[in-house]
Amino acid sequence: MSENRDDFIIAIRYALIKKGAKQTFSLFFLILLSILVISLDKFSLPFMSPLRASLNDFIYHVSVISSQPEKFGKFIILKTKKHYTIMDENKFLREEMEFLKKQKFNNAYLASENDILKNTLNLSDANTFEQDFSIFARVILDQKSPFLKSILINKGTKSGVTKGMSVFHKDYLTGTIVETNFLTSRVLLLTDLNSKLPVIIEGTDTNAILEGTGNKKNLRLSYLPENYKLEPDKIIFSSGKGGFFSQGIPIAKTYLDKNDEILIKLLGDPNQALIVNITNGAIKR
Amino acid sequence: MLYLRIIKEKIYTSLPIIFLYFFSFYHFQTPEVGKINIFAFNFQMILIYFYVLKFPENLGFGNIFLAGIINDAVIGITLGTTSLSYLTLSLFTTYIRNATLRSVMTAEWFTFVPALFFSNLVYLVIINNFSNVSFYYIELLQNTFFTFLFFPIFYYIFTQYQKLTSKD
Repeated sequence: MSENRDDFIIAIRYALIKKGAKQTFSLFFLILLSILVISLDKFSLPFMSPLRASLNDFIYHVSVISSQPEKFGKFIILKTKKHYTIMDENKFLREEMEFLKKQKFNNAYLASENDILKNTLNLSDANTFEQDFSIFARVILDQKSPFLKSILINKGTKSGVTKGMSVFHKDYLTGTIVETNFLTSRVLLLTDLNSKLPVIIEGTDTNAILEGTGNKKNLRLSYLPENYKLEPDKIIFSSGKGGFFSQGIPIAKTYLDKNDEILIKLLGDPNQALIVNITNGAIKR
Repeated sequence: MLYLRIIKEKIYTSLPIIFLYFFSFYHFQTPEVGKINIFAFNFQMILIYFYVLKFPENLGFGNIFLAGIINDAVIGITLGTTSLSYLTLSLFTTYIRNATLRSVMTAEWFTFVPALFFSNLVYLVIINNFSNVSFYYIELLQNTFFTFLFFPIFYYIFTQYQKLTSKD
């Protein structure tokens, strides 16, 4: 029994300390080094922040280069598909344009009527969508890991991006900035488990917290009132509570799935984002 | 001609390291089949396990450590987490290499299970205690399962590759 234990200890000691052929470092030294790196990163010592930012910038850029072959492949497939669908789309768009031309006159009348009614009721939405910072950025990497659903963008602190800013894709809220480096930033997507957003449900005064689950077609609402029943086809807007986002930004929508279950899906598709708009408020309309 | 041969040999022996770094920088995204992403597996872990077990002279621990650091930066978790996980895998693999007398593929495949277990355990302990990120247990479990499942395929590919390069 004790001989077996001795053998085990000898084998572990041998594995840890003995440097094999062509090995520069022993495992023991590297394990200690890893623990040191984790501790330094965890306790965020003053010199670690710029060091990590520079390291991230370098690694993100190399990562972008290494993902180019895949991007090129996808680009070719996409272009081929587009080629075959473009004619149908063109025909559809022409018809739609004709229809919209007719609608435009109707809308202009409704907008002016709305303004008159708002003035009569002393309602104004002048402060609803405030922003004094808006910048466009390109998505350089989208990472799907079991830990973070995030994207990397090519704007960082150099361009004035700070933590907590809102990120939009095609007028829809996509996520928030959670990490800033000098030249790049990381956007935590709304689908991520760590994403929590105060929202309000259309046609009600019900407040809740919209949480990500990793799936863009199945988000979760928590802190709903007791016995509250969700209805399908309701838009979920940001409530503006907590001061992170302006109120009234459309974010998600309730819908009925195949099993007649009411689920929540995002209005925008964060996985399709190529160019995003970073603001410190809502998107300017 | 001699120079060309030396360069060729260098490339052949460095290919595992090149792959290790490449897949640390680049996380390939695979199509999902239904709700299960069957192609999501950890290639680096298979590579590390195989080479530390069979050809330790071709894959240095320093490179494994550095690849882990790069992986952490790309994924966005505490630096050093993946390094420690990979090094735990290497430690376990080195122990298996020292303890076994005869190399059998099936035995090595099944010893990959505890190796993966300890490596992922270290990963989860660090993530839980040293960072605030929540993570998807199911995805991690799927990833680990398919890493284990695909091991024989890569075992065969790597063995054939090593045979090819040793002939050259």
